[in-house]
Amino acid sequence: MNYYLGVDIGSTTIKIVLIDESGEMVDKIGSPTGSMFNKNALDSLDRLLKSNNLTREDLKYIVSTGYGRKLFKISNENVNELTANAKGARNSLGNDIKVKTIINVGGQDTKVIMLDNDGKMTNFFMNDKCAAGTGKFLDISARNLEVEVQELQTLHFEAKDTPLPINSICAVFAESEIISLLAAGHQTSEIASGIHYSIAKRITRLASRGRIEDAVLFDGGTALNKGMVDALENELMRPVYVNSFPQFTTAYGAALIAKERYLDNL
Amino acid sequence: MINATDQDRYNRLKKTSTIHYNMEVKQVLAEIIDDFPDKISGMEYFYNKFKPLETDESLYPKDKKLIASMCIHVPIEIIHALDATAVRICSGAYSADTAGSDFLPAKICPMVKSTLGALYLDMLPGNAIPDLVINPTTCDQKKKMGEMGDDINKEFYTLEVPPSKDSEEARQYWQRTVKKLVKKLEKVTGNRLTRRKLKKSIKSIAQAQAEFRRFMRIRKEAPVIFGKDALLITNTYFFDNIDSWRENLAILNNELEERIEKEITVAKSRAPRILLTGSPSIFPNMRTPILLEKLGGIVVYEEFCSSSRMLNDTVAVDEWFLYDMVPAVADRYLKPSTCPNFTPNDDRIRKILLAMKDYKVDGVVYQTLTGCQLYDMEARKIGKALENEGYPVLNVELDYNPKDSGQLTTRLEAFLESIKDQKRKN
Amino acid sequence: MKKIKIIQYINNSNVSRFRTIIQIAFFLLFVYGGYFFINAGQNLPTFACPYNPGSPGTCYLISAQHNLHATWDQLFSFRGLGFVTGLGSFVLFFIIFNKAWCGYACPLGTIQDWITRLRKLTLIRFTRYDEISFKRLSKVKYVFLALLILIPLGMSNSFFGLPEISHDMGAPFCQICPGRTVLPLFSGDTSQLFIDFTTTTTIVMSSLGILFMALFFVGSFFKKRFFCFFCPMSALQYLFSKIGILRLVKDGSKCTKCGNCSRVCDVGITAIADDITSKNIVKDDCMMCFKCVEACPEKGALDVKFFNLKVFSSTEEGFFKRYGQDDSLTSNKKKDD
Repeated sequence: MNYYLGVDIGSTTIKIVLIDESGEMVDKIGSPTGSMFNKNALDSLDRLLKSNNLTREDLKYIVSTGYGRKLFKISNENVNELTANAKGARNSLGNDIKVKTIINVGGQDTKVIMLDNDGKMTNFFMNDKCAAGTGKFLDISARNLEVEVQELQTLHFEAKDTPLPINSICAVFAESEIISLLAAGHQTSEIASGIHYSIAKRITRLASRGRIEDAVLFDGGTALNKGMVDALENELMRPVYVNSFPQFTTAYGAALIAKERYLDNL
Repeated sequence: MINATDQDRYNRLKKTSTIHYNMEVKQVLAEIIDDFPDKISGMEYFYNKFKPLETDESLYPKDKKLIASMCIHVPIEIIHALDATAVRICSGAYSADTAGSDFLPAKICPMVKSTLGALYLDMLPGNAIPDLVINPTTCDQKKKMGEMGDDINKEFYTLEVPPSKDSEEARQYWQRTVKKLVKKLEKVTGNRLTRRKLKKSIKSIAQAQAEFRRFMRIRKEAPVIFGKDALLITNTYFFDNIDSWRENLAILNNELEERIEKEITVAKSRAPRILLTGSPSIFPNMRTPILLEKLGGIVVYEEFCSSSRMLNDTVAVDEWFLYDMVPAVADRYLKPSTCPNFTPNDDRIRKILLAMKDYKVDGVVYQTLTGCQLYDMEARKIGKALENEGYPVLNVELDYNPKDSGQLTTRLEAFLESIKDQKRKN
Repeated sequence: MKKIKIIQYINNSNVSRFRTIIQIAFFLLFVYGGYFFINAGQNLPTFACPYNPGSPGTCYLISAQHNLHATWDQLFSFRGLGFVTGLGSFVLFFIIFNKAWCGYACPLGTIQDWITRLRKLTLIRFTRYDEISFKRLSKVKYVFLALLILIPLGMSNSFFGLPEISHDMGAPFCQICPGRTVLPLFSGDTSQLFIDFTTTTTIVMSSLGILFMALFFVGSFFKKRFFCFFCPMSALQYLFSKIGILRLVKDGSKCTKCGNCSRVCDVGITAIADDITSKNIVKDDCMMCFKCVEACPEKGALDVKFFNLKVFSSTEEGFFKRYGQDDSLTSNKKKDD
């Protein structure tokens, strides 16, 4: 049995995905990047292999991607993360749903990728200058509301009244806005959903610079927050899909590319 | 009237801007020259033209008037025929952009701000000090920039360019504008336009164009030279002596032909062949071609006014007398122009599509400077036309600030990868 | 390899110089050919004028006017057959060279070109028509053509019950044609320069004849090929131009709209530059002199074809050679691909 590996070395976390000959995901693992990319990635890899009773020799082709992709010494090839993300997105929702827009809200940045019918990138927008509209904003907000990040989605659906608008453009100023709302006695649930809508609005504005087409895939760690998914669907006014492994889509794409390359080279 | 403190501020501004400019120039030259292993000896002449501003000495002949111009609508044949030096001052310097922001709103085209800043601080290539600045009424930003002559102590001359180029009315308007320009230039230079001198300058420029066509034929045949070098060559044309430019280009062409015979290329045969178009890349703002070529692509054709557009289309004259030569020169600067300031501009789409076929281009990178509305608005039509023919297009927005290089790199890399992927499949 | 060298040689050649020689040859043929007992027939698509003693034949317009000088009954009988065969021979002669008859063979055209050369020596500038005048004046030749068809018919038949036109009109166009007054001068014959005081009609027509001769000389001094704009032969030819064997073809996708072609056009046709969709670029005023092809620097934009064979094409190398600007190209060892 041949196995293929995709390694996504991001700025905060390393994601590794293992697939088999059929292209199905066998296993995945995520760990902090730290400062020693190569070593940390290799350690993670070895743990993954051990728990699947495999060795490095079973890996026929390895493709790395992401910010630190050139530093992963044992990879056969490296690709740009947009290419990998597009590949992973296209293949993660089955054959019936053709992804044409990817909204990847990571911890540090937000990317919007438009694809054509063949899955090739036609346009790309990125917000890497500002925390508002990224997962970072959710971290800050959760801290201010004195809840865990994972609780935010529960709070979102508990909200009985309309979400409270958070008007500040900047995550830093939004903090003081949230605190004053709390002090005024508003419900945390409404504030939480307001935060979700604020982020969703910003994402929509970024994505609207291009032409948004169905189907839209919401990717990245933030997609696990069902409250965010709800808010985004309402702001985009179209259905938003989430696959079962949103943080690993890019690594999955890299693994699929690894399989393709290996078979092409034969 | 500049008082003492204003003068002090001016001096400080000029000093700091010059330092920034020199840093910019050094960095870009290092990227162009050192980051690419293959050295073409014929490029030495062109590299040497872009030196940091180390002294205040003007590098132009002191006994001639210096006429500065912008865009590609000013007939330089006429300037040369009047024994004056012609310098195109469109600027790509970020350091001058910041100076220009004093006079112009922050959100407008960085090239216009940069040019105005460079004029104000006397930071033009070769330390040019213009006796007259010809400002054509092409895009909105340039039009209004022309009103700031008093603010920066320079004489601006507005060259009225019609907003259309196909109609007879536009042609007549332009013919009269050029005639008026001739009179103005005769006054400024103190010389009269004679038949012999104009014939000579038309032929001299035509020879330079013939040499450039030869250069492009070589590029069509094999990837023996990078687009970053080609752009540097055409950027030199802005201010260099035409005859010496042509001679050195001929030497370079000979060397490139030898390379074709010896099969020495600068890029692999699978390297994605890219056509660059949009707002022009002007030295030192050469990020797009440099990045594309560092990432494994090769730029084979630049549809820029800082490149091929200056050197296409030669003047043809029926009777070599002033009454036919001046209208012939004027026509050449209007009719074939593919500048988006003209409406309609379908000629540009045709030209790009023809180049895609002739130069076997794989994909197009369409760049727009922030605030450049004309190119931005044409992007849609051109994008559609290219899509219909099955060519991939990438739209990038730039300004002169180098801070967004990271994002630009990511996008260009993904684009090149998708092209390589497509080529692999075929 | 040899074939490519020949094609290159042709494309680089100076067609205008070649044309001057051909024009002289045809001038000698159509003005003096008769002295050498050459008989080129009565249906020539060019001005070989029988009023000129040395003419080797007759221009078709005379034959047409004579054939049309018949009653309706005659026309629809065997005499009408004469008209048809006359027209047929005209067309057959014509389609071989298409409108190049105007640019290379017509003696009146050649004379106008000589007058243009004279003007260049005096350094006087030429005039061009602006777009509106061009469009309007261009229709005049069709008016002349219509008149030279209708007037002869009107001389034998009555239109709408009106009286028949006076026979003094003769062959109406010949009365005003500069061919009648100018061509005999080259054989030393001034007998056509007169005003006929016989009747009012003859006074008017012969005065017009002298007037047109004066206009011919003065007009062509200031405007290149002045008369060709109003020439009914040109109008008649254009009706058959589409089936011409010699063709001028444009490939619009290669055209950069530089306008060089219309700039050097003696007649002043702007459509060569501005029309990028038509393949057949011969307009009614075109005389197929091919100066436009010579002035085009884009390879393959303009082609001269005979049947489907490319006889002369616009090339970069050719352009720069002709405009004397190619010292650098001589060092280019590769051929123009």
